[in-house]
Amino acid sequence: MIVIISDNSKGKWGAELAEAISRRETKVVHVEADKLNIKPCTACSSCSGKTYGRCVIPDDMQQVLPKIAGCRSLVLVSPVVFGGVSHHIKKVMDRMSTLGDPRYHISGGEMVKGMSGKGMDYYMVGIGDTLSERERSTFLFLHEENRHIMNVKGRAFILDNKMNKVAIDEIAREIAHE
Amino acid sequence: MNKPEILLICASPRRNGTSAMLLERIHAVTGGEVVFLPQNGNLNELVLNMQQASTIVLSGPCYINTYPARMIELLEKASSTGGFSGQKLYGIINGGMPYTHTHRHGLTCLQLFAEQNHLSWRGGFVLGGGAVLNGKPLERHMSRKKIVPAFDQFIRHIQEGTHSPDSLYEKAQSSPPKIITRMIAKILSAKVEKNLRRYDHDPKAPNWYVREQE
Repeated sequence: MIVIISDNSKGKWGAELAEAISRRETKVVHVEADKLNIKPCTACSSCSGKTYGRCVIPDDMQQVLPKIAGCRSLVLVSPVVFGGVSHHIKKVMDRMSTLGDPRYHISGGEMVKGMSGKGMDYYMVGIGDTLSERERSTFLFLHEENRHIMNVKGRAFILDNKMNKVAIDEIAREIAHE
Repeated sequence: MNKPEILLICASPRRNGTSAMLLERIHAVTGGEVVFLPQNGNLNELVLNMQQASTIVLSGPCYINTYPARMIELLEKASSTGGFSGQKLYGIINGGMPYTHTHRHGLTCLQLFAEQNHLSWRGGFVLGGGAVLNGKPLERHMSRKKIVPAFDQFIRHIQEGTHSPDSLYEKAQSSPPKIITRMIAKILSAKVEKNLRRYDHDPKAPNWYVREQE
């Protein structure tokens, strides 16, 4: 299963990508993060202790977490905001700690965390127009740091606002086939 | 309009954690006003306060390699409101991992926000190995010999309104050597597993949400 979580508050990019991937892969779930009631992580540490692996905040994330936990690939689609993701997408990412491995592993000589179980392939698609080279590389850097600490594989893409159909299809092909 | 104030904003949901402790350390020297980023509700008033300050210091934890969502929401709100002109902006981000690269995306975010909204980015401080302090003073940090003078130098930059270079925090902390890294990983993992067993959890079991679906 491929799970796409998108912020559609400024454009219907998530749906376009979901459709392109569906043409190549049977099971695609598309979540519109900006339409959900997702509360901020409170850093209560319950998910790494008392209620290991489970977040105790009762909101729409309780329906999203099982989808992420069981997926083969996770795709986050977001406008590029100051070189990162929008707050709608970041709220989802912050609450994903509950699916992380609380132990410490070594990768490339550094401590990393990893995901519980096998983990998933992790993609980010950033949308922006006339982004500076620095803002683009900052977005890619965030994804690279995420991959390192979560010990997962994947790629980040940056797309123009005009959502070139060929570019979307190429991204869909890469995500569906990996 | 006279804008003498220094506004110190804590972006952590914890009132007594490391982000707050670092701001209080600054506040003791610079004065100004310390506020906590409200975790829900309207951010209009806080954005107004930001516009009225001459210097803004944002201090927050590192969640998934950058600032928490609520901080990003504040920057988005401030950006769409507009009306900034030359306010000096400093940033602090602190995280658990003892590596500055793990957390430094947050500072780049702030710098891009400043550049796109007519604030003046004056530099920031990345504190690795900070989460374990959990509000205890900086003098208890594992790299205290270098970190304490470096952070106090950062405070002087804020006080004088001068730019604080990345080299200030980078030189004050270094990645532990490989053998120490392996030792720390083993010790911390053992602590985590002991805590999980206390609550009858198996650290190797599939995630709760996966088990629930079966």
